[in-house]
Amino acid sequence: MNESYKVISSSILFWFSQKKWFVYSVIISIFLLNLSTPVGLTVPAYHSLIILLLVFMLVTFEPIPFPAIALLTLVLQVVLGVAPPDVVASSFMNDAVLFVMGSLMFAIAIVHQGLDIRLAKLIIKIFGKSKRMFLAGLMTISAILSSFLGEHTVIAIMLPIGLSVIRNIDTQQADGKNAVLLTLFSIAYGTIIGSIGTPSGGARNVIMINYLQEFSNVSIDYWKWMKHAYPILIIQLVVAYFVLQFTFPSSLNNIKMRGFKKNVGKTDVKKNINHLFSCLIIIGIVSSWFAFNDIYGLGIIALAGALTFMIFGMISWEEINKNTNWGVILLFAATISLGFQINETGASSWLVLKFNELLATLPSNSMNISWSIMAVLSGLTANFFTSSATVSLIGPMAIELHPTDISFALSSAIASGFSFLTVISSPTAMIIYSTGLVSTKMFFRVGILMFIISIIILYLMSQFYWVTL
Amino acid sequence: MKILIAIGGREFSKPTLDLGMKIANSFKSSTTIAYVGKKISQFSEKDVSVVHQNLDDRELYRPGIRTLEWAYDFLISKKYIEEKDSNKFDDYLLVDEENSRMKVLLKGQQSDKIDLIMRTGEIIEQLKNEVETNKHDITIIGGGGNTGIHQKLVQFIDSSVFVVKNYSVSKKYKILLPVNDSKGSDMAIETAINFAKSYKLNVEIVSVPEGKKSIEEVEKILKKTKEKFSKNRIKTTTKLIDGPTVNSIVNYAKDDSIVILGVSPKNPIMKYFFGSKPLSIAQKCNCPVLITK
Repeated sequence: MNESYKVISSSILFWFSQKKWFVYSVIISIFLLNLSTPVGLTVPAYHSLIILLLVFMLVTFEPIPFPAIALLTLVLQVVLGVAPPDVVASSFMNDAVLFVMGSLMFAIAIVHQGLDIRLAKLIIKIFGKSKRMFLAGLMTISAILSSFLGEHTVIAIMLPIGLSVIRNIDTQQADGKNAVLLTLFSIAYGTIIGSIGTPSGGARNVIMINYLQEFSNVSIDYWKWMKHAYPILIIQLVVAYFVLQFTFPSSLNNIKMRGFKKNVGKTDVKKNINHLFSCLIIIGIVSSWFAFNDIYGLGIIALAGALTFMIFGMISWEEINKNTNWGVILLFAATISLGFQINETGASSWLVLKFNELLATLPSNSMNISWSIMAVLSGLTANFFTSSATVSLIGPMAIELHPTDISFALSSAIASGFSFLTVISSPTAMIIYSTGLVSTKMFFRVGILMFIISIIILYLMSQFYWVTL
Repeated sequence: MKILIAIGGREFSKPTLDLGMKIANSFKSSTTIAYVGKKISQFSEKDVSVVHQNLDDRELYRPGIRTLEWAYDFLISKKYIEEKDSNKFDDYLLVDEENSRMKVLLKGQQSDKIDLIMRTGEIIEQLKNEVETNKHDITIIGGGGNTGIHQKLVQFIDSSVFVVKNYSVSKKYKILLPVNDSKGSDMAIETAINFAKSYKLNVEIVSVPEGKKSIEEVEKILKKTKEKFSKNRIKTTTKLIDGPTVNSIVNYAKDDSIVILGVSPKNPIMKYFFGSKPLSIAQKCNCPVLITK
């Protein structure tokens, strides 16, 4: 057989084996494009739903880079007549996208300051009386910080602290292994649970706030979100603590607090000033989110945080540029743009109509059922598709279900934050998994219980607490 | 000759590492020991990278380093590397090279012939890149886990692939060499001669009549192959086996066999969708199998 034929066919096959989901997604999309438009849907609305399905498949299986998916989403919106170029361009950038960009940069700037050493000292000071208290402290501090600064910032700061504590534990012994898992899961669950607490806890929260403002003209400020979400966070934390203690019983004898203290190096005057300044900037930004988010928007304030760090020379642009995930920013911008078109073209109304028709066939109270389906669907989709992308695509439908009732939109955003099932669902889960100490099976096994309990807590709070606000 | 040994979890990597180093030593070849870390979702890859940098700064082992440290200690315990005070693993430097490749440099002296590297990403893509960039001749991988990986490795990697299945250090092995008149078979014969010479292993040459081939023709192939080994003063036995090729060879192979096969001459597209005889043998055999290219 001709050698060059073998080389070429082998290269094509390798490309196919790596990109097969891209090929499948394109074939499915072409097939759907050739079907007749469903009754009640306009052609642009139908095409926007096909692009939605395509994006779901491409983001889930990642056969091509995220920036490529983002560009494809924009190109297809125009080429398939979903919206004119100017409309697509204007929906591409808004405060939610600025928030994603700003919070990623702000996180890099904070992590760069090495605040973990100081934080570790603080945790020992407050919670260092017993090892179990120390782990509860790790979880609580992770949750509080994550609620304001976002998961990706907090996990980057907290993981080195956690790994310092467990560095010499022998994982061959069950007791040691459980101590390692208990420590890692305490940090992970604290961080994940915390991210629902405030709008700045996760991009999904800001995206939903943005959608509510645009589609229902309902405005939710920082404080209002916290009043709804923080009690859920506190209950979840208590539940998570007991779930983890029950799942990973350990004497914790192997956790070396002294070894941990030894690891915490001495700080010099320059570092002290740096840390003081960093704390002031963080406090300033969080206060601004509280006080000025109505005027300036969460995104601009987050960008101002990153900007301040750069102006004072506390981080270089090169460092921020190197560590910022520009692909994710582009992807969120493109999916939010698609979310807007799904709403504008009437595709979300059509989907909700079909959903309600389906519910009408069920005998019991459709309001509770539609809430449950929406919350569980948001939570499950987020676990396989990541939370922010889920909200940017499912958000318009959740709002459309009950446009004047914010509990549906809030529940969808909060349920999307229950990233307990899979390691791909959130940066926290992926970082914990990347340590090689936690398997995907283990993550799911513990997470399924937390997921179910969290959905129940959310339901009860939305039924009995939110109505009192 | 350049050898690439891919290792994963400690439990399953011991035989792979041991056999790989034996081969590397007997061929006096340079060796790369590669740990391929878990693929990170694009959503989190930068976050993970920042965390790993943070771990380095805090002198905490980033994922994968512990496995390489274990591999390094294993090589010292088996005397593949000479133990000195200066070549302890404690003091290492990670050099970030291109394409998700990181090289571990130890401060003390170590053999120039052994490289420790870490890669992150999809395993086939990473090993393919490693082989293409560094021109490895043999890729050695453990036999556990997903058999689809072995099929893709054989299909896409430009080196011979050695799948180390159920290898025991204490066992005395013999080479089982299935032959026919294909080009791939000629390469397998050459490799088997080198292996048998280096290890002083006995060789069992077998052939199965396929298609319209007569028994006389097959016997002729066996005789010709035996002569090649005799010229190199290697003891061989020959055997003509009857029946379907794959099953006959799989049934004939024992736990103490190292099967050496040539790559199939089949069209790559047919191989991808329908597999090939060497691939089926590699998947079904319960012993180490080397597919030569």
